[in-house]
Amino acid sequence: MSNFRYKVGPIAKCVFQTQSPRSNLWCTLMQYRFYPRPTSFPDYFQNPIFRKEDQAKLIESNELTKLAALPVKPPAAYETSSVYHDPLVSKLINHVMKMGNKKLARNLVEKAFENIKRIQIERYHLATTPEEKAKVVLNPKDILHKAVENSKPLLQLLPIKRGGITYQVPGPITEKRSLFLAIKWLLEATNDKERTIHFPEQFAWELLDAANNTGKVVKRKQDIHRQCEANRAYAHYRWQ
Amino acid sequence: MFLCYNKMSFAIKLTLKQALPIASRSSIILQNVYNYSSKATSQDNFYNNFTDWETLSKKKKVSKAMRAYLERAKEHDEFMKKQQFEYNIGKRHLANMMGEDPETFTQKDVDRAVEYLFPSGIYDRAARPLMKPPEEVFPARKAAEFDEAGWPHHFLFYTGKPNFFKLLYDITENIQDLYKYGDKVIRKKEVTDEKLLLNITGSVWLTKDQLEQLLVETVTDLEYDNFKLAMDRLVSLPHSHIYKDFIEKFRKPLATQRFALEIPKPSYDENGNAFVTTYECLRKKARGDVTIKSPGTGKITINGQDLTYFEDTQSREQVIFPLIFTGMQDKVDIVCNIEGGGPSGQSGAIRWGIAWGLRSFVDKDMLEAMQLAGLLTRDHRRRERKKPGQPGARKKPTWKRR
Repeated sequence: MSNFRYKVGPIAKCVFQTQSPRSNLWCTLMQYRFYPRPTSFPDYFQNPIFRKEDQAKLIESNELTKLAALPVKPPAAYETSSVYHDPLVSKLINHVMKMGNKKLARNLVEKAFENIKRIQIERYHLATTPEEKAKVVLNPKDILHKAVENSKPLLQLLPIKRGGITYQVPGPITEKRSLFLAIKWLLEATNDKERTIHFPEQFAWELLDAANNTGKVVKRKQDIHRQCEANRAYAHYRWQ
Repeated sequence: MFLCYNKMSFAIKLTLKQALPIASRSSIILQNVYNYSSKATSQDNFYNNFTDWETLSKKKKVSKAMRAYLERAKEHDEFMKKQQFEYNIGKRHLANMMGEDPETFTQKDVDRAVEYLFPSGIYDRAARPLMKPPEEVFPARKAAEFDEAGWPHHFLFYTGKPNFFKLLYDITENIQDLYKYGDKVIRKKEVTDEKLLLNITGSVWLTKDQLEQLLVETVTDLEYDNFKLAMDRLVSLPHSHIYKDFIEKFRKPLATQRFALEIPKPSYDENGNAFVTTYECLRKKARGDVTIKSPGTGKITINGQDLTYFEDTQSREQVIFPLIFTGMQDKVDIVCNIEGGGPSGQSGAIRWGIAWGLRSFVDKDMLEAMQLAGLLTRDHRRRERKKPGQPGARKKPTWKRR
């Protein structure tokens, strides 16, 4: 069955004699280069904890020794331990990105942040009393967090078919889906604009509006909540 | 490999030893029977009324199954001997071809020789030429599972997979025991010591192949899942540490990353400055080397340019990631040469190279922190190939009814 594997032809011998050991090494290296490599890490690899504050938390809760024995995945190409790294911002960049053009997406988001900063600094200088000045939030990332927090829906409507009629049944929403909807609505509201206005400008306005609990996105969220309230009578269809 | 061979030959030899005397004895018995019966037919017909020759001879006869097994075992033994002989000859041929000593030619050398003499770009590793000792190529076989009368030794013989089902049986029995033990503990209001508790992080269950090798039986996917489920339940019980030995038989430790063992000592140049060079920094298609010079000012040189070699911010952040993490950003100088791949791959390769080189300049706590941050793990992932019949590696054509 495997006899042919044990025997070696005479041609190979000639090849060996003509080649130098240096090319032998090169040959094996080249071969390894094109061997298949796994495209993902095995399940038992742990996610990396690459931020100092997260590691400090682990040390406090004494879970570090447990994790130290396990192999760890390398951090992704967009993750750093820098103070400028923010998971929500990288998530937002991925939502803005089209056709894998991350450079442009990042540029657009950063420009929007710049616009927010400009608008807020202007407001800061227009404010007359120190109390009013203290109220103005100058950090664009804080405004983004506030805006997303304000746009997150608490309930969702699920279409459920009962007796041939589709009812919009209110139900709870997962944290992940609520974050997804908030970012999606913010971007949808931004893209619903005049052609002459650019994305960063409009996005900055939308974020400022949402952070202030006003604007299209917050209205949309409140509409959903209102409809959920109106459809309370259908709630039992979720389990009946 | 060697171990495997030992086990194998042990199984076969043992059965032959057990079986051979029986066989020789049986032939004698058969002769006797023949003599008696011939006697009986010729003259003493009335003896038949006193002794039942047929049942007597049947009792001592070797069963058909045993005889068939003996034949098979003998055949297999001969086959393996032949394969071993051919393997040894093949090994000598290979050694001669490679110009090395055939006596000290090991399996490692064989693999190297086959790879060199039969270079193969075939995608599937299993389809590439190989030469392995026959014990590895041909699966091990079980010894006789029944006695000479044909009766099975094992009480689960008729399940077809006695070892596997015995294992499931044992697990269940252990679980029942643990329930009883737990009740007893509650009744006596005892408190178990924290130190005794079972800690199984750092090891995984045996894979299907490993389990099959251990049991010498084929196991289906469903059966393997059942095994894992049962074992998981056993482990989840509060007093599972009682069966620690039993559980650990079916777990394999994960390869721990021993970063601390072989940290290189930095070399010194003519000015007395320490430096460490990491070669073969790989990520995606990028390859390069990174040199870290110890008393430095945080100057980074990539292919003769500074950090602006990378046009996008993300790649620049990646390069300085390990420096920021360890707080060495203005204590060392970095020089790297990198080629191949795109900005993401190149920056990833440099990131790993810097982290790997910094091991020589940081303390042990920081090393552990770097390990936990995954900076010392090499990212070996590569682009997955496109498959024929579909538009991408995983993407399938749009489904159409007709």
